[in-house]
Amino acid sequence: MSEESTRENVADLLVILRHGPHGSSWLREGLDAALVAAAFGRQVSLLFMGEAVTALVRGQQAGALGQKGTAATLEMLAMYDIDTLLVEAEALARFGLAEQDLMLPVNRLDAESLPRLPAEHRLVLTF
Amino acid sequence: MLLHILNRSPATSLVYRQALTAIGPEDRLLLIEDGVQGAMPQLVRHFEGLEGRLFALREDLASRGLEGHCDPAVQVVDVDGFVLLTEEADRTVSWY
Amino acid sequence: MATTEIARHLTVEGRDIALDPEGYLVELADWSPAVAERLAAEEGLTLVDEHWEVIEVLRDFYARFEQAPAMRPLVKAVGLALGPEKGRSIHLMRLFPGSPAKVAARLAGLPKPANCL
Repeated sequence: MSEESTRENVADLLVILRHGPHGSSWLREGLDAALVAAAFGRQVSLLFMGEAVTALVRGQQAGALGQKGTAATLEMLAMYDIDTLLVEAEALARFGLAEQDLMLPVNRLDAESLPRLPAEHRLVLTF
Repeated sequence: MLLHILNRSPATSLVYRQALTAIGPEDRLLLIEDGVQGAMPQLVRHFEGLEGRLFALREDLASRGLEGHCDPAVQVVDVDGFVLLTEEADRTVSWY
Repeated sequence: MATTEIARHLTVEGRDIALDPEGYLVELADWSPAVAERLAAEEGLTLVDEHWEVIEVLRDFYARFEQAPAMRPLVKAVGLALGPEKGRSIHLMRLFPGSPAKVAARLAGLPKPANCL
């Protein structure tokens, strides 16, 4: 594949989220990285892999000690023009989650199309 | 072609599966740090399908005494080889 | 982000209002329109309806999303709430000169926007 053809459909940043809410700060840090990039006008895609699909479950609340969750931040993504929410379909299945269980509309990626994604972005960050 | 870098052992962490999920048909995988355990003959089966595209970092194998325990399917590279792999790839993706 | 460090106090309507080193409210619940007017006076601004409607947009944004917006999402939120004529950075620059996302968040009683230089 030539340089040119690889560049054509390349977006700026792919943030791969791999952690659920509340258990660690990984998810929040990944979202923060996405928001900073978007605030500076970068085109950002989010990919929820593995456990991170649980971040999309409806009805989340603050932590037992009142810690903020990440649901409000996910709701906010559209305000930062982060509209590309991609989800590993296999992970949804593994957690038994259907689309009506999720708080936001997402694009499901099957095992065949997922590996194309990192190549379609200029920068890939895993969290 | 992307270079994926994995630093977790397939014996203790499922992170390698996430890496495998995202690796494209041309992409390469380099095992570093505890990831080099995956180069051992009993563990290399986790990376089936990556024949010719699977690498392990010599320094991390050596420090763990694993250089002599490396499956022949794995290409061992030193730090210069790591740099070369990075240069040959469009970009790198870290799995940790 | 909101800090707990108190740098100084304002006395507004007989209440002591704690401010952090950058002039943001330490207790978000301390906010009142009178507090906004005092903070605005420090910026050399007199608040008119056009300011208040943006302040309201910001307070709604924070109530919904738990964060103060950077400039781009602020412009978008203002545009969605008040119409495309007002959802432009030039309008916000005119109302809140300097750094609108920061100045307007301060006057609205929100923490400093996180994803903003």
